[in-house]
Amino acid sequence: MSDLERDDPRLLINAAIDDELDAAGAIDIERRLAGDPKLASDHSRLLALQTALRRLPREKAPERLRARILAMAPARAPQPRVVSLSRWRAAPLTALAASLALGVVIGAGGLSLLSQGERVQVADRTIVADYVRARISGRPVDVASNDRHNVKPWLAGKVTVPTIVADLSAEGFPLAGGRVDVVGDRPVATLVYQRREHMIDLTQTPVQGEAASEPRRETVDGYGLSRWSEAGRGFVAISDLPASELDAFVAAFRRAAATEREDQPSATP
Amino acid sequence: MNDAQTARQFVDLVAPHLDDAFLLAKWLTGNRADAEDVVQDACVRALGGLAGGAVEKPRAWLLAITRNAALTFIKRNRSKTIVASGDLEALEAASFSDVSERPASPEEALIAAADTAAVEKAIADLPTSYREVIVMRDINGLSYREISTAIEAPIGTVMSRLARGRAMLIDKIGRR
Repeated sequence: MSDLERDDPRLLINAAIDDELDAAGAIDIERRLAGDPKLASDHSRLLALQTALRRLPREKAPERLRARILAMAPARAPQPRVVSLSRWRAAPLTALAASLALGVVIGAGGLSLLSQGERVQVADRTIVADYVRARISGRPVDVASNDRHNVKPWLAGKVTVPTIVADLSAEGFPLAGGRVDVVGDRPVATLVYQRREHMIDLTQTPVQGEAASEPRRETVDGYGLSRWSEAGRGFVAISDLPASELDAFVAAFRRAAATEREDQPSATP
Repeated sequence: MNDAQTARQFVDLVAPHLDDAFLLAKWLTGNRADAEDVVQDACVRALGGLAGGAVEKPRAWLLAITRNAALTFIKRNRSKTIVASGDLEALEAASFSDVSERPASPEEALIAAADTAAVEKAIADLPTSYREVIVMRDINGLSYREISTAIEAPIGTVMSRLARGRAMLIDKIGRR
């Protein structure tokens, strides 16, 4: 700031409302305001203008623009997309993700060359990417049905282990359908549930020799993600829902899944 | 950095600030369709410039690129968009006296209560060089230093344009 700016009280009252003055400058301008009614009145008008500007509606970037821009990144990627199962495979790229979702992923057996931690990371990226892609494309499911008796048999022909499909409509999470994702080199089942305008993806993959674990919540690319394993499966849930609602979903699913397993004890691989 | 890492970095840097970039582009171009084109162009530039390495302040970085893309767009479409540039020098040189010497009055309430359309119209009517600093500061929330970097001008220029631009807004909104 040159001496000119330093001395011009009209610039200083602007800097004051913008919180750009240091302590000494702030004290100085307070003193000037106290002794100069004209300056104080200008200062009040600036504050009023600030109020008016802050009240302006803030329009969000259109979804189609967001989709176009996020699509620019993988266009430069060296790896092709896996088209057959309609999901991206290049995990680090696909993590493009922008906003919302809840999904459950089970297992990542095909990533055996990586360490456990790396496997989890790559799987998470894939899951987040799948969730975001599903949202952007407007086609979140391969089979659309709110009836688990339709979804389960459809998935049965495409993934290696039976999928646990629970009816959670009574808990406020109606089923929207299911789809097949690819995690590592393995097709896995992803269920899509709804909560208000939000989507919840639940992916299930087989895990071998892993003890059951309680749900653990984390954040990946801004999405809430909950992971647990039981009954020979690993589950990952991802969503833009508040953490408490994600927890509620996970709890409801586990209760219902326990009931279904009693019906079908052979579900464990 | 390989392409995959660049792509990943691009998404991490750009995705959280698209709304801000869109707002700035919309205020600079005056409409949503042009703003979309500008933001897309800005992102192409951003992706192309990423090989350079770390970006410390992604929001300010993206907004600076968006601002430049918007100015390019405006120049190219001059016939569609009214740009006040010829009178900029005169405005820069002008004193504040013409708008700030009015007697103090209880117009704060009038300003603070101004309806959205009136405020938006007043901003839209500002010359670009004033509008951009006000939008970057009051809509996007950039610091003086970030704005100074974005518009490639000294902080003193940022300050005088902000002060002058706001005085014009107050004059317009407060006098209805």
